[in-house]
Amino acid sequence: MTTLALETEGLSVSFGRFRAVDGVSIQVAQGELRVLLGANGAGKTTLMDLISGRTRSTAGRVLLEGRDVTNQREYRIARAGLGRKFQIPSVFGGLSVRQNLEVSLVRHPGVFANLRFGLGTTDRQRVSEILHLVGLADLATADAATLSHGQTQWLELGMLMGQSPKVILLDEPTAGMTQAETAKTAEIINGLRGRHTLLVVEHDMAFVREIAERITVLHLGKVLAEGSVAEIEANAAVKAAYLGTQEISEC
Amino acid sequence: MAELSRNYRVWAYLIFFAAILALPLVGDEFWLNRVAKYLCYGMLGAAIALTWGYAGVLNLGQGLFFGLGAYSMAMSLKLSSHTSLQQGSDKPIPDFMLWNAQPGAAPDLCCITPGSWLWLPFQSQWFGVAMAIVLPVVVATILGKIIFGQRISGVFVSIISLALVLLARLVLVDAQPITNGFNGLTDLGFLQVFGAEIDPYAVSTYYIIAVILIVVLVLVRLLVATRSGLVLQATRDSQTRALYLGYDVPAYQTFFFTVSAAMSGLAGMLYVLVAEFASPSFLDLAFSVSMVVWAAVGGRGSILGACVGAILINTIEAKVSEVEQLVEAWKAIIGLIFVLAVIFLPQGLAGFAHDVMRRIRERRQPAPTLNRELRQ
Ligand SMILES: Nc1ncnc2c1ncn2[C@@H]1O[C@H](COP(=O)(O)OP(=O)(O)OP(=O)(O)O)[C@@H](O)[C@H]1O
Ligand SMILES: [Mg+2]
Repeated sequence: MTTLALETEGLSVSFGRFRAVDGVSIQVAQGELRVLLGANGAGKTTLMDLISGRTRSTAGRVLLEGRDVTNQREYRIARAGLGRKFQIPSVFGGLSVRQNLEVSLVRHPGVFANLRFGLGTTDRQRVSEILHLVGLADLATADAATLSHGQTQWLELGMLMGQSPKVILLDEPTAGMTQAETAKTAEIINGLRGRHTLLVVEHDMAFVREIAERITVLHLGKVLAEGSVAEIEANAAVKAAYLGTQEISEC
Repeated sequence: MAELSRNYRVWAYLIFFAAILALPLVGDEFWLNRVAKYLCYGMLGAAIALTWGYAGVLNLGQGLFFGLGAYSMAMSLKLSSHTSLQQGSDKPIPDFMLWNAQPGAAPDLCCITPGSWLWLPFQSQWFGVAMAIVLPVVVATILGKIIFGQRISGVFVSIISLALVLLARLVLVDAQPITNGFNGLTDLGFLQVFGAEIDPYAVSTYYIIAVILIVVLVLVRLLVATRSGLVLQATRDSQTRALYLGYDVPAYQTFFFTVSAAMSGLAGMLYVLVAEFASPSFLDLAFSVSMVVWAAVGGRGSILGACVGAILINTIEAKVSEVEQLVEAWKAIIGLIFVLAVIFLPQGLAGFAHDVMRRIRERRQPAPTLNRELRQ
């Protein structure tokens, strides 16, 4: 059996008495694109926080490529091969778009190793390539802070391409986007699959149908169901969980 | 901001260097001595810009590092002054130690006052010079490891640094028997460099300080242009994103914080050479805050800008102080300048110059973005 790209075992965290994530076990295979579905407050973002070391778990384990990275510091988990896009886009606003991508090409993470000027030829080519892939070539010299919401999201995706981690967590990559922007984002994400293992939080069912293979549904901090798009859409428990609250497509 | 013409920046540096090197042509030794002090302040301004502008860390206690550098140098120079050598011992003894000594204490640097042995190695002037850099570096590294390692950021760093400089000042004043307390260290000797004396009023001394400032500015400007410098600016904009790319953010912050401390220590050391005293006022809160004002007015995002800001403001202050009625008003004036700069020139004079240059370029070249793309 090949090692899983990402695995959690009984991962839990409590905030006071409240168990935001409660014994979540998921297995994501190499190269898989897994969608994480769930109503507001289901614990999706918190689960990503636990996996990426932003929040310390109170129980359970996180395995990245078979390596135990539970509760390690963010930069260590990142170096072990994890990248993440945040629900609220996070880029370097004072730097140009190109510089953002240059920073994302992490050859050596240490401060002394980086006391050098500029990038190598391959890295410079890679930056241009990514600029075109995310459609920001015309804005290469613009400050990242001046980008629109959609462009900021694409830049963040571009930075993930630069970082090129084995496993990528994407938290609502299409939130607040127009239809055209969503379509372009789907294209970018489809470009990431195969090369990377992806765990994607997404609400927009149309978008989910477009990208998803398998879906894991989270409800009140627990895994409620797991399966293909069709299976999940037909699942009674999932329907019940959403009934009286919202439709899946709207939440 | 990020990728505007490199040429224009290089020219700005060259013009500044030429200007400070040309000053001896237009002024006498006394005036040059005063300008040399401002050049030391300029180095301080640049040190503030490095942490504040590039790392987003506003240090309100930079005077601590300046003071460490100044006192290290002053201790050595105190020991080589004539009075210290004429206290009836074969080893030099600072005059104030005799005044503070317990009756019957051996007139020897080892034990004349409690802790006076700390002065022993400072009999070597090079030890004093080295400590002026080493002490700030050691203190800044330890501080940085603790502060940044604990993910303390923003205003909390400012508050901690502010508290520290005040604490250090208290200790300094309190340790009267070895620091001469409030009075500071005066009546200093001259530094001997390879047989030559550094006379505070010699033109050559001015040149030494000017050249050191130039070297420091060039090195620091190159440092922030490295990949590490770029990553540092990235951590300023989003620590989280930098961490998630795998960068050890506290290590970057600590490194540049330490470089800034070393610059400040060096500035303090040079200042003592021309001012001939070290005093607890270097650790006054007001002094550390002034440095921030210099950097804000000159432009915290620019190493050169902050340096020029420091020199300009001090020049103006000296002019204003000549008019008696304005001496008292100076604090209000500087406060006003600060507020106006923050409101109307958030990037200081450097940012203003930058905008002007950009406008000129855009008028000359109607399609700047296209041109910039083609050039790359
Ligand atoms: N640091 C925290 N302290 C206390 N409660 C928290 C903390 N972080 C998250 N929570 C709570 O945990 C629950 C899960 O939040 P989470 O952000 O993971 O939900 P989500 O599934 O991402 O929802 P959304 O779709 O709104 O993004 C929420 O009720 C939230 O209030
Ligand atoms: Mg969320």
